[in-house]
Amino acid sequence: MIAPTLIGTLVFWFWPAIYSIYLGFLKSENFGLDNRWVGLANYERLFKDGEFWQNLRNTMLYVALFVPTTIVLSTFFAVMLNAKIKGRSAYRVIYFLPQVTMAAAAAMVWVIIFAQDYGLLNSVLGTHIAWISDKRFAMYALVMVGVWAAIGFNMLLILAGLQSIPRPLYEAAELDGAVGIRKFRWITLPLLTPTLFFTSIVLVIGATQIFDSIYLIIGKTNVALPAVRSLVYAYYQNSFIYYDQNYGAAIVNILLLINLILTGFQFLMQKKWVVYD
Amino acid sequence: MNVRKKSTAVTAAGVLLVASLALAACGGNSNNGGNAAGSASAGGASSPAASKPAGGDPKKNVTISYTIWDKNQQPAMEAIAKAFTDQNPNIKVKIDVIPWGDYWTKMSAAAPSGTLPDVFWMHGGQFIKYATGKFIEPITDKVTAGEIDLGNYASNLGSIYTLDGENYGIPKDFDTIGLAYNKELFDTAGVPYPDDTWDYAKLAEVAKQLSQPDKGIYGFGAKLDTQAGYWNDILANGGHILNDDMTKSGYDEPATIEALKARYQLIVDKASPTHQQMTDTDAVEMFKSGKLAMIFDGSWDNGNLASSDIIKGKYDWAPLPKGKVMRGNIINGLGNVMSSKGKHKEESWQFLKFLGSKEAAEITAQMGAAIPAFTGTQDAWVKSQPDLNLQVFIDQAADAVPYPSGSKSYPVWFAKEAEIMSQAWGGAISVEEGAKKVAEMMNQAIADAK
Repeated sequence: MIAPTLIGTLVFWFWPAIYSIYLGFLKSENFGLDNRWVGLANYERLFKDGEFWQNLRNTMLYVALFVPTTIVLSTFFAVMLNAKIKGRSAYRVIYFLPQVTMAAAAAMVWVIIFAQDYGLLNSVLGTHIAWISDKRFAMYALVMVGVWAAIGFNMLLILAGLQSIPRPLYEAAELDGAVGIRKFRWITLPLLTPTLFFTSIVLVIGATQIFDSIYLIIGKTNVALPAVRSLVYAYYQNSFIYYDQNYGAAIVNILLLINLILTGFQFLMQKKWVVYD
Repeated sequence: MNVRKKSTAVTAAGVLLVASLALAACGGNSNNGGNAAGSASAGGASSPAASKPAGGDPKKNVTISYTIWDKNQQPAMEAIAKAFTDQNPNIKVKIDVIPWGDYWTKMSAAAPSGTLPDVFWMHGGQFIKYATGKFIEPITDKVTAGEIDLGNYASNLGSIYTLDGENYGIPKDFDTIGLAYNKELFDTAGVPYPDDTWDYAKLAEVAKQLSQPDKGIYGFGAKLDTQAGYWNDILANGGHILNDDMTKSGYDEPATIEALKARYQLIVDKASPTHQQMTDTDAVEMFKSGKLAMIFDGSWDNGNLASSDIIKGKYDWAPLPKGKVMRGNIINGLGNVMSSKGKHKEESWQFLKFLGSKEAAEITAQMGAAIPAFTGTQDAWVKSQPDLNLQVFIDQAADAVPYPSGSKSYPVWFAKEAEIMSQAWGGAISVEEGAKKVAEMMNQAIADAK
């Protein structure tokens, strides 16, 4: 019964991943048809490459900014939309919309919002900031877009988590005199931690792989590119623009390793904060 | 029930909103699609109705694919394909456009998997990779057999797509660079139009004169660009992109750096929009919307400029300005090639041969798509838009320098060049530093490719 899915996973996910690891030890010529074993040469080059370390820092900074912001805002909106307010389903749809918006179309709109001369953001803030081509701001612009796109889906997950919290708990707490923020702090939050744990794992993995917003919004001739270039963007550049699949493979293999470590660490840490009843 | 109904309505509204966003994003393309269809049929009608072979045709019906990167040339390519199908009713040609930015990425994925289009456009810079790997079909025996004469093409273009004595491609067109100017902006300021007496100092002077940064109008688009940009400045100033035997970068030569600095100075002097402004809105688009008085652009792009309602009839072409040493200009020739792994190689060859014919060249010329390579058909291109001085592109071809491709390292250094130079153009590093970095990177790429 699971054979079709399993075969699909093996062929389209597992095999490319394994092949990527293999590619990292090769030097390929002729569009990958002639391969030569070079051992760790690609990794030696990588570790000596200042740009790689910068890209790694960029990626980690993005994760550090994006993940907590998304979790906090998604939780906030989920709690708000879990309350009995007028037009609740309308709000839910509105917050979920970014999820079903075509990334490329949304990026075009964001480029207009961020534009320095006539951009919406600058005219609202009364500033004249080059959001996407000033290296001091480009990362925040990307985080903004990332959070905007991620809130909808994560809000939905957290909403589901909220609705699985038994009502009587709140009623009991109310009898004991708990109100508002205290109910949230001592009932909602602890019982939501399994959901938050899951969302944070998925968000971290997703955030380390940031690529499309850099590609679509920043672009390759942007002076701010070095300040936001992620590992996956560097992978794309090396593999598909510079025709160096091996160096590209080395980059994503390091990323794979980082993700394994990050996820492992999160699983270890869950004992400290996740409440399973 | 009521609640559910309401949420369905809201969802529907959401879907509509998203759909309209998506439609808005596609708006630009669908316009062009409409144009393409219209002009294609017009072109087909103007070409002589070919005699269809009478009676039952024993040949089987096949469809071959033809992939190009310039959507402005799509109508002409459709017209050529139609003329071909009229003569060979069993062969249909399906034309796909992959924009330049993705073209070689897709081709490099298609090549090793044997899924290259049957026939496709080739660029001199990419040719060697595809020929050494035998991904494209050699046509040497067809040339030897006299099926096609590579001597039919202007400016020795027939030799571009040759490697180790084998021929692989048939010249399609050639292109040079011109100075496009907005007549209206010159008239308003009472400045005479650019002509062949201009040098770079004059260009800079007039660019400053015409700039009104507070109104968003600039004299010149000093864009970060190679072929239609500073490569011409470099040559005019006596610098080099590569040395003559293509073993060393010329970016660190003083004359090269001087030319690059002069172009960058126009941004500093506010005679040109900043790099960041030109990243937000492409310089050519600014010219098309009447915000730039002058810009360098390629002959291939005339169709694109002419498609703008804002500057239609208000712009014209002049030769590039003279530099210290010469009038710099880059000439490049595109070719048509066919896949060596195609399923219908015989039919593809027939089409490839037709693409290299005088008839195809005439369609290309009449529709103003590009300067055809076939000797003697260029005039038709010049006359395709009689109100424009397209002759400047033909005249400049004589002294132009070939595009510096034709080496295995080209695709690597060319891609990295733009990235490094964008740091200089954006002001993160000095132009001199950028040029020296490019030279270092190019020399490394040349060494790696050996």
